[in-house]
Amino acid sequence: MAAGTGTMQMDPLFLAMSFYRRRKLEECAEVCTQLLKKNPYDQASWCLKTRALTEQVYVDEVDVDEEGIAEMLMDDNAVAQLPRPGTSLKKPGTSIGHGAPTPGVRPMSQAGRPVSGFVRPGTQSGRPGTMEQAIRTPRTAQTARPVTSASGRHVRLGTASMLSQPDGPFINIAKLNLSKYAQRQNLAKVLFEYIFHHENDVRNALELAAKATEECQFKDWWWKVQLAKSYYRLGMYRDAEKQLKSALRDQDMVDIYLYLCKVYRRLDQPLTAVDIYKKALEKFPGETTLLTGIARIHEELNDMTKAVQLYKEVLHFDNTHVEAIACIATHHFYTDQPEIALRFYRRLLQMGVYNAELFTNLGLCCFFAQQYDMTLNCFERALSLASDENMSDVWYNIGHIAVGIGDIQLAYQCFRLALASNNDHAEAYNNVGVLEMRKGHTEQARAFLQAAAGLAPHMYEPHYNHGLLSLKIGDLQSSHNSISKSLEGYPDHSDSRNVLTQLKEDFAAL
Amino acid sequence: MADERLVFKEVLPKQGLLFTEQTPMPILCKPKIMPMKSVTLEKLETMQREAQEAVKRQEQEQKLQGGFT
Repeated sequence: MAAGTGTMQMDPLFLAMSFYRRRKLEECAEVCTQLLKKNPYDQASWCLKTRALTEQVYVDEVDVDEEGIAEMLMDDNAVAQLPRPGTSLKKPGTSIGHGAPTPGVRPMSQAGRPVSGFVRPGTQSGRPGTMEQAIRTPRTAQTARPVTSASGRHVRLGTASMLSQPDGPFINIAKLNLSKYAQRQNLAKVLFEYIFHHENDVRNALELAAKATEECQFKDWWWKVQLAKSYYRLGMYRDAEKQLKSALRDQDMVDIYLYLCKVYRRLDQPLTAVDIYKKALEKFPGETTLLTGIARIHEELNDMTKAVQLYKEVLHFDNTHVEAIACIATHHFYTDQPEIALRFYRRLLQMGVYNAELFTNLGLCCFFAQQYDMTLNCFERALSLASDENMSDVWYNIGHIAVGIGDIQLAYQCFRLALASNNDHAEAYNNVGVLEMRKGHTEQARAFLQAAAGLAPHMYEPHYNHGLLSLKIGDLQSSHNSISKSLEGYPDHSDSRNVLTQLKEDFAAL
Repeated sequence: MADERLVFKEVLPKQGLLFTEQTPMPILCKPKIMPMKSVTLEKLETMQREAQEAVKRQEQEQKLQGGFT
């Protein structure tokens, strides 16, 4: 071949495979396109191109979990509407309460959960409790929540990948004869992944999987898992559960256990999920993904002691596990051991993690562990690495350093800068409000505190501060309202309770 | 040994006035440890960003072509 050109050339198909192996996926697809132009019936290059295109948008399905508003609020899958304490992920407050961090020490996320040291897709903000909260949540620019998961990231990715191809999609799924492909196992699996991940056409993917699993007499566990994946995306969790259990009878795989637990988590049965994880651990001892799964559930149930114990076990098997290190570090930071947290974050730095988040955390740990020489360097690095999304948090934390060293002017500027880069930063509003209170600017303080309370009704600080401010100027009624709201957010807050008893005495005296 | 142990007695001042005053102070929100991002999340975000840019580029090209004809 290619003898006429005089130069030696690689066989194009072999070249394409080599590109694929080196993850130069675009080049691979390009070479395959050329091959397919010469011979449209070339199955090998068709298969390879399909795989290359899939690989470009492939994300591990176990990790992806995005809940839309519709799924969250019109969720009729949950078994109990009023779950017993410690058995539901929906009401994080209902934990048994051992080692649960209080909002007085550890900030809360929008869902009323303590902030985590690690974000995964789907667990970013948890479930909001009410419709009002859910609808308000997506307004904050950084955590846009889709209306349903069907309109979420997946669709956006799918359509975008189609748009960037000038002469239409590579495979026209509507024209495919799916039953014909289902008979050819070698092509069907590749095609399924393409339809599912690249085109994001779950319904056709499901049809193909159903036909293919029939073709192999329901004996191939792989197809059962794919069926379950499709059912899960379509919101048919019980069907997904059935398929996965059937797949487990055929083959013991870590992956299948993980999917099954994902289904149970969506059904809001965390304890069942933990049981499944434990059963899987008997078969695959020391598997870190399973251990991490249990730890995450404990974390979401507010049981930090158990979660940290499990994360430590994860580190015993895999000492470069970023999630475990980050979560343990966060736990130590908020339990008054910044110097230990510092060691964990330093470990992350050694491992090659290099981003604004890490340097901010290092800076905070250094400051609170009284290693002042490193603090400002870390924050400078963090600022230079920060993107638009996390810039506000970096400034917010620098503001705390400024408060710590008593430079109120700098602190004020930092919090204002945090607000400049993110208009919805409730914590920064609250802190600016407090600084204004100190300066004696009552009206401005009130405006900032109200803004904070409006943006984050779950936080107790703005309510409490607003209550104090109102008390000071003699507006007892609004003070009472605010303090009550503060106690809703943090029922054990002793200062709020004191103010409330004082208010009650005042009211009684009237 | 046990009876030899020193017994500390509390000392309460008998003279003068002792003031304790607690005024409730406004609270700052706590410093926020920034969560690290999982690999999957980062990949999703970069993919989304790239897709958005590709779409924008295509739209711009279409606009340019539209302008010439």
